[in-house]
Amino acid sequence: MDFDFSALLDSWQYLLGGLGITLLLSLLTGIGALVLGTALGLGRVYGPAWLRIPIVFYIDTQRAIPVLVVLVWFYFAVPILTGISFHPFWAALMALTLHIAAYVAEIVRAGIESIRPGQIRAALALGMSRPQIVRKVVLPQALVRMLPAFGSILSITIKDTAIATVIAVPELMKRAETIAGQSYRPIEVFTVVMVIYFIILFPGTRLIDALYKRVAHLGRS
Amino acid sequence: MNLDWNIVWDHRAELLDGALLTVLLTVLTMVVAVPVGIVLALMRLSKSRVLAGASQAYVEFFRNLPLILVVYWAFYVMPVLLHIQFSAFTTGLVALCLNVSAYNAETFRAGINSIRKGQTEAAIAVGMSRWQAMKKVVIPQAWRRVLPVLASTWVSLFKDTSLVSVIAVGELAHVALQIRSSSFRVLEMLTAMAVIYWLMGYPQAKLVDWIQKRFEVKE
Repeated sequence: MDFDFSALLDSWQYLLGGLGITLLLSLLTGIGALVLGTALGLGRVYGPAWLRIPIVFYIDTQRAIPVLVVLVWFYFAVPILTGISFHPFWAALMALTLHIAAYVAEIVRAGIESIRPGQIRAALALGMSRPQIVRKVVLPQALVRMLPAFGSILSITIKDTAIATVIAVPELMKRAETIAGQSYRPIEVFTVVMVIYFIILFPGTRLIDALYKRVAHLGRS
Repeated sequence: MNLDWNIVWDHRAELLDGALLTVLLTVLTMVVAVPVGIVLALMRLSKSRVLAGASQAYVEFFRNLPLILVVYWAFYVMPVLLHIQFSAFTTGLVALCLNVSAYNAETFRAGINSIRKGQTEAAIAVGMSRWQAMKKVVIPQAWRRVLPVLASTWVSLFKDTSLVSVIAVGELAHVALQIRSSSFRVLEMLTAMAVIYWLMGYPQAKLVDWIQKRFEVKE
């Protein structure tokens, strides 16, 4: 078996551009999912009953449907329904954000519910108002406890952007397919891209773990 | 906009076959990935540094790769490396197993580690062998923590089987996308695909919630 990496050497800039799009899409999706997911999570825990039912339904629906289906539906079906078509990048951003926000919402809820009710009763007994309790007692501890889970969300987000290749977002995965197809060197191309993804993802997850170890004591009660 | 929902009913047999293949892929992957995960976890916890290192390297590698890339990689590299032509189904199955067994290994390891060492030591002190301590003390407690995680891995796996559609495994996503491109009934087919996944996935997600509540370990 002989290997030929010349195709990769010729188009490394093209691949690097793909990596940039992967990272940009991950970053924007991460921010969007964090904002939307936190709103959904807070709405589920503290919102009125009529709001909770649709939120729970939304979260469980996203948990039940593959992200590939959400992506494809958003890119191909939404334009037919609304008459507005999006560039693949924006379609992917919206689909991934909507999907991952559901997971963020679950993490936020679990973090809030992990604070023992005794603490809330104690805070009430001290005369604190409900918003005060959320702000000063619940969230400071819950946020720390959520940190490792947010770390895995970050990793899931980067990995899920690779699925955006099915709607032809020109990110790393898509560009790898293009180069592999043109050069007839899929083994070299996919192996190198595998290493690139690993190099990005592995330190990322490690970093969050290390950070959590340093702040974990703040979340203990 | 004129919609023709009959297209979904006309292709019901193919869609059903696709859905069955999705379920089959999920079941077969789990059947392989649970024992492999246990072996990897035991390797990781063994005293041999070589075994522990190999297990850790495997687990970290596959947990930090997009599954869709593993699918492509298996599709192109496996036949060259092993000199055997695999069917798309087998290739997809291998890729899913590589991925899920890494997650399962972590699940089992965390489950075993969650039982305090003092318990094993106490069991050995009262005269049990290591294996007896594992079987009578650790496993009966650890499985309560392992099961809920396995259940949620199951649901993720069920959804991830859609990714093997990229190498033309005829599961639900691939079948639906094929019918879409041959009939040009894009909205109808994509919506049908989403609804079928929802119908299958929603009860599973709810079941996971129930299992998690049922087996919740109160500190």
